[in-house]
Amino acid sequence: MMLRMVKTAVTIVFISFAITSFAAENLKKIEEMVTAAKTLNYEGVFTYQNGKSLQTIKIIHRSDEQGEVERLISLNGAAREVIRTNDVVTCIFPEGKRVNVNRRPLGRGFPSDLLRRLGSAADFYEVSEGEKARVAGREAQQLTITPIDDYRYGFKLWRDIQTHLLLRSELVTQAGNVLENFTFSAIEFHDEITDDALEPEIVNRDEMTQYLTEPETAVQMASKGPLSNWQVNWLPEGFALVAQQNRLKAKNGASVEQRVYSDGLSSISIFIEKIKAHHGHLKGVTNMGAVNAFGTIIESHFVTVVGEVPKHTVDKIGSAITYEATH
Amino acid sequence: MMTTAQKELLSALVDGELKGAELTQALTLLEENDEFRSQWQRYQYNQDLMQGKVIGSNIDLVSSVSAAIANEPAHEQEIQKAAVIPFPKQFWKQAAGLAMAASVGAVAMVSVISQPQQQIVPVAPIAVAEVPQTRQQLAEVKSNRWTVGEPEVEQRLNDYLVDHHEYGGTSGVFSYARVVAYEAGQ
Repeated sequence: MMLRMVKTAVTIVFISFAITSFAAENLKKIEEMVTAAKTLNYEGVFTYQNGKSLQTIKIIHRSDEQGEVERLISLNGAAREVIRTNDVVTCIFPEGKRVNVNRRPLGRGFPSDLLRRLGSAADFYEVSEGEKARVAGREAQQLTITPIDDYRYGFKLWRDIQTHLLLRSELVTQAGNVLENFTFSAIEFHDEITDDALEPEIVNRDEMTQYLTEPETAVQMASKGPLSNWQVNWLPEGFALVAQQNRLKAKNGASVEQRVYSDGLSSISIFIEKIKAHHGHLKGVTNMGAVNAFGTIIESHFVTVVGEVPKHTVDKIGSAITYEATH
Repeated sequence: MMTTAQKELLSALVDGELKGAELTQALTLLEENDEFRSQWQRYQYNQDLMQGKVIGSNIDLVSSVSAAIANEPAHEQEIQKAAVIPFPKQFWKQAAGLAMAASVGAVAMVSVISQPQQQIVPVAPIAVAEVPQTRQQLAEVKSNRWTVGEPEVEQRLNDYLVDHHEYGGTSGVFSYARVVAYEAGQ
């Protein structure tokens, strides 16, 4: 009897160790994928598909000692472009004759604590390795990431076996339905990428209106005091504050506070914007593809929750935000 | 009209067989040549259909799908806008919001049919009222556009989306694709 219990205990320990190390190994694969996306030079075309539309997008990414530059160009419809450098994100919307330039206070793209963040995701997702498949003519290994509850989505990722770059990504509901999918159709890796390839193709730059959004300086942020009056009273289990910033909006000088909460894989942003002009705002939930947003107005502020999580998640988070007046 | 060389290039692109200068040439054509691009998208659909992603009785849908593609842009469909808090008075813009589903027909049909085991489902039946379910799977409403119908509000949401993607998790490579893909007002 005793022996059997010991055996069982040993087996349980062994199995749980195996599961843990397996999960750690798979998380490492995800981390390698993110590193590959940041460090490789590549040029390719991918499709972005959700229920009703299919968009074709060209991507050029360069990484060298100066850091990263990435350019995305829409190949359908208006030639919208996003150009991302270490410290600036430029969005060009030819149809609106508008160029938005956002200076990035944190610099260098993704937060550097990605590995720790991914580690914390291990409690809320199950990762398993799937079949090998061909994507864009290359051998890829599939990873399936399943959430433990209905407050977040899962992922199916196909990772290039040779370079580790993510070649295909699907966002999946807990029930297994695919919400959107990004798939490379063609990709090439280069030793070098010329400056020309990363230049925007704006035709009439003079006709475009430029908006520059600056982050507030540390002094400005400090003057507001260390504690914000805004309380986020509910978040799904595992979501923690990973970034916070204040910006002054280019168009009207309105101050916008952004807080980013993440469980390591999924993330949501809360935006709190002081109302400067008489405009309407989103009330309740809307979506763009798989991104859901919840909006409301509290104490003369537009309060908005945005993220690639189910709509009941943004709804529940947004409905639990309160303003606590300072005494 | 596409030249024979372009057709061969396209076919090789679809099969993922291009490298080097040929790939660059194909990518340039994709970017600059409308016919090349639309033909490429059709090949992609067809390839999905042919690769056995269509099962059993769905096979005969291939012809109707092809017909639907040939007839694009297809159907009009009513869509329900999300609610907006008017401030201080109402300024609804009906037209913009209602017409956004113009291209829902052909493309949605193919994407649903070509992936029968992993149907694309609607994300958010929007706040106020129910979406009319007139066209079985196709009536499922999902959009590349915020379903708000008021440009000012959509603009604000877009700005937020750009800021949010700064911190995008696993989408990594693709994180700004949603911004680029945002549909122009239809």
